[in-house]
Order: sequence, then C-alpha cells, then structure tokens
Amino acid sequence: MLDAFSRTVISADAKNAAIGSGELATLRKYVSEGNKRLDAVNAITSNASCIVSDAVTGMICENTGLIQAGGNCYPNRRMAACLRDGEIVLRYISYALLAGDASVLDDRCLNGLKETYIALGVPLQSAARAVSIMKASSTAHINETNTTGTNPDETRFRKMETIQGDCSALVAEAASYFDRVASALA
Amino acid sequence: MKSVVTTVVTAADAAGRFPSQNDLEAVQGNIQRAAARLEAAEKLANGWEKVTREAGDACFKKYPYLKQQGEAGSNQTKVDKCYRDLGHYLRLINYCLVVGGTGPLDEWGIAGAREVYRTLNLPTSAYVEALTYTRDRACSPRDMSPQALNELKSYLDYAINSLS
Repeated sequence: MLDAFSRTVISADAKNAAIGSGELATLRKYVSEGNKRLDAVNAITSNASCIVSDAVTGMICENTGLIQAGGNCYPNRRMAACLRDGEIVLRYISYALLAGDASVLDDRCLNGLKETYIALGVPLQSAARAVSIMKASSTAHINETNTTGTNPDETRFRKMETIQGDCSALVAEAASYFDRVASALA
Repeated sequence: MKSVVTTVVTAADAAGRFPSQNDLEAVQGNIQRAAARLEAAEKLANGWEKVTREAGDACFKKYPYLKQQGEAGSNQTKVDKCYRDLGHYLRLINYCLVVGGTGPLDEWGIAGAREVYRTLNLPTSAYVEALTYTRDRACSPRDMSPQALNELKSYLDYAINSLS
C-alpha cells in the first residue's frame, strides 16, 4: 500500500534519482492542504451510513425490480449484503482519500471485484449506479453543497461545520476514486 | 511502504472501520512535522552530488590504506563504486525524509547489506566514517533550518547504526 509520499519515492527510485524540488512541490501541497483533506475524510466517514443507505435506496427506487421476488436485493439477507458492500466500497475510498493515492483501493477492494460480482450474479450496472450516487452525495458533503433535496421542511438536515475554503481539488480527487470504482465494474 | 498514513489505514482496515478521529489526529501530527522533513529532503537533493563527494573523500582520507593493492578501493572502478554506494545511501535518506519513516532505508539499503558486505569483503567502517562525516559536517542555519537538520541527522544516525 502506498500514500502520496511513498508513491513519489517509488517513481523516483525507478529513475534512480533523489527527490528534488519539482516532486516536493506536489507533496507540499498535500501538507499545506492537510487539514482540508482530513475534514474531507471526516465529512465522508461521519455521514457514511447516510451516504450508503441513500445510494442503495436511490438505486432501488430507479429499479424497483431489485426488491421484488427474484430481484437481487430480495430478500432482506441480500439487501443487507448490498448495504454492506456499499459501506465497504465507501470505506476504501475514504482510505484512498486519506492516503492521497488509489493503491489501497485498487489492491484491497477493486482487484477481482468485478469477477466476484459476475460469479455471484450481482448486476454490475446497479452496483455502478449506487457508486455514482455515493459519489454525488460524498462530493456534496465535502464541498458542503448538500441541500435538503425535495423536502424543504426536512429538519434532520446536516452540514459539517468546517472552515470554508476552496475544496475543488479535493472534490475532484475524491470523485476520481469513485470513478475508479465505476470503471472497475464496467 | 510503511509510513504513518499506511500504518493508520492498515490498522483501520484490519478492524474493518472507517478512519476514526484518532486516525485523523495521527495523520495530522505527521503532517505538522512534514515541513521540516521536506525541507531537509530538498536541501539534500540539491546538494546531493557535493555531499556524496565530500563524504567519499572523508572516508578515503581517514582510511588511505583502502587505495592500496588488494583493498576495497585499489583501482578507480572500485573507488567510483564506493562513491556510488554513498550516493545510494544519501538517496535513500532523501526518500526516508519524504516518507517520514525508515521504510526505504530498511527495504532497499539495510536488508541484506551485512551479508553483501561480508561476501564482497567490504569494510563497513569506511561507510560509517563517510556518513558520520556528513552528519557532523551538516550545520544549521547554513545548510538548513534546525528542525530540518534534526530530521536529517536522525536518518543518518539510523544508517550509521545499521552499519556499525
């Protein structure tokens, strides 16, 4: 498993060169935006169960056949497995976001995931759809652009009270990890 | 490769949980110290060739017998290899400073080094002398800030200990 720092070391070692100012600039960015990154990870982990259950619910709303007899989210046992998998994927994405490198996600989550799902008869399209909903809500949580949605009277609506700053780079990075999962399933 | 972040993630993964507040605090502590490490890495990379040359010169000055017939530095090819090895150690120290742990030195420098040096009949004391010279030669604020120097010296000491 690698992080942003050890990734630089591996690529420098391949060139047999010391790590100079050029590569250090990107790492300095990681360091200077460190608190933002931790806030972003916190925004995902603190809202994890909401993000996951929302994504799975959305996936089923769009394709109600999943919870009818013979569907892949029927009975409860399989629905529970689906929620669990959603949480696992989100967990590895939070690790990748913390490390600033996708290797942990690739090695420990995505490697062989598609083959496993095919063998188990899990519909890949539905899984990818759930991931893309998780991407939308996670990036909204990181950016604090999450809204009450269709119900203006929703009182349980929640925002993380973090210091405001430009999080576009982090949002793009987090989105790339979700896209990675989607392309691994495609 | 081992670093604070990967250690934290490995532990969280083994427990099957999301990164906790404690995990994030640990990473934050690491990040706060990172500026000094990166400064040391940058300064070392900038002066890498000079530092290597000085370290090698110091070791041949202290042990002139190395250039005698039948010794480890008896011809120019062997001497060049000695300088190359020192550069190698300094490059690994540069990596350690970037990662914030001894992973690169452990994996690429120290593991198996003792066996190799014994087989090739190389004197480790010469490496110790070269790295010790580098450690004592570095000074603050001429070369880098005190915190950065502290980080650099701790990895030089780690390499010296592994060879002695």
